[in-house]
Amino acid sequence: MSASPLVHIDGISKRFGDAVALEHLSLDIAQGEFVTFLGPSGCGKSTTLRILGGFERPDTGRVILDGEDVTMQPPEKRHVNMVFQDYALFPHMTVRQNISFALELKGMDKTGIARRLDEIMSFLELDAYGDRYPGQLSGGQRQRVALARALAPDPALLLLDEPLGALDAKLRGQVQRELKSIQRQTHKTFFFVTHDQEEALTMSDRIVVMNHGRVEQDGTPEELYFHPASRFVAEFIGETNLLSGKMRGVEGEAVVMEWFGQTLRGHAPSGVPAEGAPITASVRLEKLGFHSSRPDLPNAVQGRVINRTFLGSRMAVDLLVEQTDGAKLRAFVDAETGQAIGDDLVWAAWDSDSMAVLRD
Amino acid sequence: MNRGNRIALACVYWAFVLYVFVPLILMILMGFKDSKFIGFPIRSWTLDWYTGVFSDAEVLYTFGYSVVIAVLSTLISVIVGTWIAVLLEGRRFWGRAVTFGLMVLPALVPGIISAIAFRIYARWLGIEPGMGAIVWAHAVHNVPFVSLVVMARLSTLPKSQIEAARDLGADPLIAFLRITLPYLVPAILGASVFCLLLSFDDFVRSFFLGGYEPTLPVLIFAMLRSGMSPEINAIATVALVLTAAIGIWAERFTRRTNKESQI
Repeated sequence: MSASPLVHIDGISKRFGDAVALEHLSLDIAQGEFVTFLGPSGCGKSTTLRILGGFERPDTGRVILDGEDVTMQPPEKRHVNMVFQDYALFPHMTVRQNISFALELKGMDKTGIARRLDEIMSFLELDAYGDRYPGQLSGGQRQRVALARALAPDPALLLLDEPLGALDAKLRGQVQRELKSIQRQTHKTFFFVTHDQEEALTMSDRIVVMNHGRVEQDGTPEELYFHPASRFVAEFIGETNLLSGKMRGVEGEAVVMEWFGQTLRGHAPSGVPAEGAPITASVRLEKLGFHSSRPDLPNAVQGRVINRTFLGSRMAVDLLVEQTDGAKLRAFVDAETGQAIGDDLVWAAWDSDSMAVLRD
Repeated sequence: MNRGNRIALACVYWAFVLYVFVPLILMILMGFKDSKFIGFPIRSWTLDWYTGVFSDAEVLYTFGYSVVIAVLSTLISVIVGTWIAVLLEGRRFWGRAVTFGLMVLPALVPGIISAIAFRIYARWLGIEPGMGAIVWAHAVHNVPFVSLVVMARLSTLPKSQIEAARDLGADPLIAFLRITLPYLVPAILGASVFCLLLSFDDFVRSFFLGGYEPTLPVLIFAMLRSGMSPEINAIATVALVLTAAIGIWAERFTRRTNKESQI
């Protein structure tokens, strides 16, 4: 089975009344992948998750899990488990009873259940809480119980529906690292849904950015961050400078664009636009470098720093670009550099590989 | 709120409490008075009325009879009422408003009218007056109370609870039995106690649908016709203490389980 994907989503669509939730989504997920579906609310990420879990049926298309068509299977028949956004722990059952719920229903015998319970509870460091009720646990502990309960029946695919949303910021970072390491240790396939781009970048092997029921871009976190295919992806993930100009042509590997009379060179991850077409390019804030004289780089503009924002580990500087109608570029630099730039005219420069020409 | 207002509100409250409790206290006191005539002054005290009541076979039998009717009608109300609640809650279908209205109706029809209607209906169906008819009438009257209480509780059950159960391998029936039903227990218990008390307390339906054996309220009514006696005060006091105790226990239990089941 190693050659065929664990999950094969084949052209699924779903409407709720007049609202289109998913439009002809096709996607393969390999065994052991940590895939994140990222997008704003209503983009179709949760619908996809619910279709994989069996809580919704697609209007068209099929879902193949491990070679078997599960499109019409109810949730209880699928070898898929889910960590719910609100954890959905059963309040009248202890931690132990919550985790063994699925094992009991599978018809596992008492010793089998006890063994599996010990295994999963020690793995997730829940041994001390077995006899507590969910109401007696902290947010982080509940999250781990929800994870333990979903992992206990050893599912082929684990669905996670924004499970970190309820945690405070500090705990969230810790849990993100934990989740990633749990996924590595168990070699499970994780299907993670979130609207938090930072969360997606930290944990995923692969991110699928969704918008209006369609896939905007599908790639590794680095690809999405540095080579966004569309304006939506560039804006949704991280902070970026968007430069609106005109397409001039292709020079070797580089796409040439005109921006306020200046010639800039970038690359086009989503295909080369037609000549003369209005285009938008994205340059990440940390890709801008500052120089006192014109450097030997494909892209260099002159301007004056008008604003500095100290952010602790770095500084954001705003550059008012000369010979434009007041265009500004924003850059991240370290604090010393930020101060050293001064208030005189400086050159800001970047490589053609750092500028992605976007699909609108 | 200033001090004057608070004192005024407190005075009104205590006046209300007096208004409610003085008749009850008078009734209780008279049950201990060593005289056949109800009224002050009380010159000597006695427990004779109580010993009389507890050795009166008819009173004891009637008490038991009322309890059996209350329990049976409550069981029926709870099953039917929960059933309707599960059917109606969180679902949209054509005619839901009408279905809901019909469900609530038995609680709104004036007692005397529903009693007469039941009487006519029972005769038409060939049901003899007696325990069966009373249980039936009480059960029908009490169903809306169960449904409303259970629906209120059901509406607070997160959808993800059932989805989680299904996700972990439970079919819809197992999910209902193992997740929904335990969640409803406080509501069902509360509604049961309410039904028990309603049935135990009911006079009109029991009077119209009763056969030769009276329920406790009907018996008290019959005794009253032959004159007020402190024995009635004793019966009433016992009934009062029992119902109050059950009510308070149920209230505390419901509050405790509600607290425990908070997520």
